[in-house]
Amino acid sequence: MSEKEAEALLLELKEKAELMVDLAYSSIIYDNKEIAKEVYELEDYVDSLNEELQKLAIKDVKAGELEVNEALAIIQLGACSEAIADAARDIADVELRDVELHPIIKESVMEAEEVLVRVEVKSGSVLCNKKLGDIELASHTGMWIIAIKRGNKWIYDPSKNVQILEGDILFAKGPKEGVEHFLMLAEGKEKEI
Amino acid sequence: MKVPRWKKAEFEEIEYEPKSIRELLKEIKNISELIVDLAYSAILFNSKELAEEVRYLEVRMDKLNYEIRIMAMLTARNAEDAEKMAAILQIAQAADTISNAAGDMVKLLAYKLDHPILPHLIKESDEIIKKITIDENSAAHGKTISELKIAAETGVRIIAIRRKDRWIYGPKGSVKLRKGDTLICIGPEEGMKQLNKLLKGEIEVLE
Repeated sequence: MSEKEAEALLLELKEKAELMVDLAYSSIIYDNKEIAKEVYELEDYVDSLNEELQKLAIKDVKAGELEVNEALAIIQLGACSEAIADAARDIADVELRDVELHPIIKESVMEAEEVLVRVEVKSGSVLCNKKLGDIELASHTGMWIIAIKRGNKWIYDPSKNVQILEGDILFAKGPKEGVEHFLMLAEGKEKEI
Repeated sequence: MKVPRWKKAEFEEIEYEPKSIRELLKEIKNISELIVDLAYSAILFNSKELAEEVRYLEVRMDKLNYEIRIMAMLTARNAEDAEKMAAILQIAQAADTISNAAGDMVKLLAYKLDHPILPHLIKESDEIIKKITIDENSAAHGKTISELKIAAETGVRIIAIRRKDRWIYGPKGSVKLRKGDTLICIGPEEGMKQLNKLLKGEIEVLE
């Protein structure tokens, strides 16, 4: 069923666009051009996904598998995610410019209800050698890992199968209230997830 | 017919009053996150009220953008200041783009689709959206959202509360929950299960 395909594409568009916004804000508050460049790359990817989605929706209508209104709804939802992705790129663009950032930007992002943090995983941490899918960090701390820096390598939007290693630098997003527990876990000061 | 809040807000005159750029940007960022969650919920639950709140926040976002532009211009004294302010305005503008996208999403409600696409979509997602009504035996009755540590213990965001005929959108941590409240929640599956148990009176505390 290609309706399923359209749904899968739409879901990926939605999640990538939201990830991009989080990454874009992270790039600004940690003054990190690498993350900002990744946002640009993702933007190209989102564009191509969106185009694929549009073609698919039209094909499905032609084949009689989708109603015109349904296809239109799918195309419009895709366009909304694409607009969000563009907004994320504009935020990342601020980081890539050679202008010193006003401290207000960092302050207001850090004081918002959802915040972004960065932490290095220490050797005694219970997170070491655990798969993301096994520890359910989001359910226990509210924090979602949006990127991992491992040596010179980056893992963006890590999947459930990714194992956390000592020395990893985790970039995470979540509610203010969840930050402390998360940091203590990564630093090995708290053992219970 | 009652005029919706967003329509009233749209034609209100804006009078200049000095505001802090930091506070403006903070509200702008908060709205840009809440509004997307609300938009998906509005479509998923086919809710006119949630959709109207999205429209209201969209209008509010326009106003905040207008205000932050004025404050930025008043603050800049030289080219260096202006460059820094331009960056702030670019972020505020991006947040406005996001809120417009959310506003466009809720327009889909007008299509009245027989076969809604979103439920499937949300089910497969890392974050699910659920409506939960607080049971009369729940330990959550009379406690604030912060006291219950919902965000930290479950990762679930409560984006709206329906209390009898009233709605509370983007409730703060200080809001007290009551039995009979219906909460619109977004979060990871496992955390959602825990929260559901608390609100249905199956467990006393979250941990």
